[in-house]
Amino acid sequence: MHNIHYSFPYSLQSLCVGAVAVLSVTYIGLIAVVMSYAAFTVEFSQSVRNDEAVVAMLESAYLANVARITGMDYIAAGYAKPRVKAFVSAQNVTALR
Amino acid sequence: MRAQFRLRIRFVLALVVLVALLILIRLYFIQIVHGHNYAEKADRQFASSGSGLFDRGSIYFTRKDGTLISAATLAAGFLVAINPQTLRNPEAVYAFLPASSLVLSRDAFFAAAAKKNRVYVEVAHHLSEKEGQTLAAQNVPGVLVLRERWRYYPGASLAAQTIGIVSYGSGDTRAGQTGLEAVYDGTLSRSGDSLYKNFFAELFSNVGNLLVNAKDAREGDIVTTIEPEVQTRLANGIKKVQERYSSKESGGIIMDPATGAILAIANEPTYDGNVLQNVDSSILGNPFVEHVYEFGSIMKPLTMASALDAGVITPATTYNDTGCITVNTRQICNWDMKARGVIPMQQIIVQSLNVGASWLATELGQDKFRTYFTTLFGQKTGVDLPSETGALLGNLSKSQQIGYDTAAFGQGIAVTPVQMIRAMGAIANGGAMVQPHIVSAVRLNSGIERKLDWSQKVQVFSGTAVRETTAMMDAANDQALEGGRAKIPTMSVAAKTGTSQLTTPEGGYYTDRFFHSFVGFFPSYSPRFIILLYTNDPKGVQYASETLNAMFLDLVHFLIDYYAVPPDRGFSTSTRSG
Repeated sequence: MHNIHYSFPYSLQSLCVGAVAVLSVTYIGLIAVVMSYAAFTVEFSQSVRNDEAVVAMLESAYLANVARITGMDYIAAGYAKPRVKAFVSAQNVTALR
Repeated sequence: MRAQFRLRIRFVLALVVLVALLILIRLYFIQIVHGHNYAEKADRQFASSGSGLFDRGSIYFTRKDGTLISAATLAAGFLVAINPQTLRNPEAVYAFLPASSLVLSRDAFFAAAAKKNRVYVEVAHHLSEKEGQTLAAQNVPGVLVLRERWRYYPGASLAAQTIGIVSYGSGDTRAGQTGLEAVYDGTLSRSGDSLYKNFFAELFSNVGNLLVNAKDAREGDIVTTIEPEVQTRLANGIKKVQERYSSKESGGIIMDPATGAILAIANEPTYDGNVLQNVDSSILGNPFVEHVYEFGSIMKPLTMASALDAGVITPATTYNDTGCITVNTRQICNWDMKARGVIPMQQIIVQSLNVGASWLATELGQDKFRTYFTTLFGQKTGVDLPSETGALLGNLSKSQQIGYDTAAFGQGIAVTPVQMIRAMGAIANGGAMVQPHIVSAVRLNSGIERKLDWSQKVQVFSGTAVRETTAMMDAANDQALEGGRAKIPTMSVAAKTGTSQLTTPEGGYYTDRFFHSFVGFFPSYSPRFIILLYTNDPKGVQYASETLNAMFLDLVHFLIDYYAVPPDRGFSTSTRSG
């Protein structure tokens, strides 16, 4: 029988100091990540809202154009009323699709 | 060796102290010397002082191709506030405020500037990005330029009463007050901490939210069934009628009779949701669910369908039209006071005969008439608009026959426009009433689109009864409307006009003031659209055929073209335009 004896090369104090150092660095890193994340979230959210506002202006212009075209008096604009209206017959259904 | 080591230690120490000093000096300049500037700059970038930026979900119109167009969204810009204690030249500041923004009146501005006990008074809102940046660059003492967001309606007055408005109401937070903004406020409103939440606090206190976020499952945008181009067309027509006849009010609804999806809903007078300063609060409500009207003769097809469904008549049944009849000492006459003699049922609809409708009510009997009309109008429709009111059907709970006879042609009972189109939709939809609705889906922040269930139906008439009634309305369009000129050779259209006398405050009826209505659907036997139009108290005209025919026909032709509705009648021809 042989007695097996393990010897640990580092003292408990050294281990604790090392662990504290690692945790501190991790903590600081985490704070940095979180702060960056929060800043990017706010910035991105703001940029999305600004883009939405720009899109809203474009949509407003689109709806204003639809209203202008719908309300246009074509006779006053110089166009003549059609003299004959032709209706598409039911046999030509596919032509409408 | 030891001395060299000590020298190195001192050098490193001095270096650390020097760096620390530099950092301290830099911090002093950033936080103390220029702190105010940085704070203002941060505010301009992100939020007005004192509160977070306004946030709210969007409301969308849906184009025919499925594209979403904002009906209500957010606009971003700047507000201007003054600090009266540090403001030096109010005159110059007021002159510099852009007129395009919402600026306090001159008197109010100078009154605010004179309040030296205040440090923050908002004097202008809704400055554009460029205006805000320009003003901020001036660095005027006592003037703060802060970022803000506000509710914006790209369509301005488009479907304004239906979309609704957002305001402070009685509390200190903005909430939907009318229309869809109010009905779907729980979905559209946003929690204020969305941007400034503490990540660690969120992480540890709301672990559950990482898995199932209650807010994301509740908050979102709403998608309506309103088609912006159809809506614009309808609104344009309504406006023309309102202006031409100086009506008290006018309105119209276009609905898919099979699903109850409302494609357009417009009325006059209306307002621009972006400019509410001078709007009369009485027009903020929605007349389609809050007002009741006696619709007149467009009620006759419902009376006819009821009588056909009950089996008391067939289309071949005839009656003797005497022009006028006396019921409970009251006289009921046809619109032209003329007798028609013995005529078939179809003529009651085609010629809009009051005596015929009264005859149908008598044949039907009070109990059956009450049962049909209570089924049609006795309950609220459940449409997703606030403050829906019920119909006035008091005459149908009395035993006097006159109440039933007049109800048969749309007088003496009053219903909302949404109730009316829902009831008429039963004729267009195989006898089943659908649930009218405006919102089709909710797009949640979680990314899920939740379709709303509007599939509930109420079967009122048999398919045979509505088919026979539709044939009569079809004949009314082809033979009577515009003297037959309204007929479209390749498209069947079922239509009916209605003219009713307005009630006096004493309970009688005016002889010279009217309510005009019009209902129609097409293609008659497989309808894709049902249209209800009305104008209240138009001046200088008596009959609905004079006020609403042209708009109805314009809408029919527009919808056929816009949606490429295939012809449903087989013959091809051409006709002289009117």
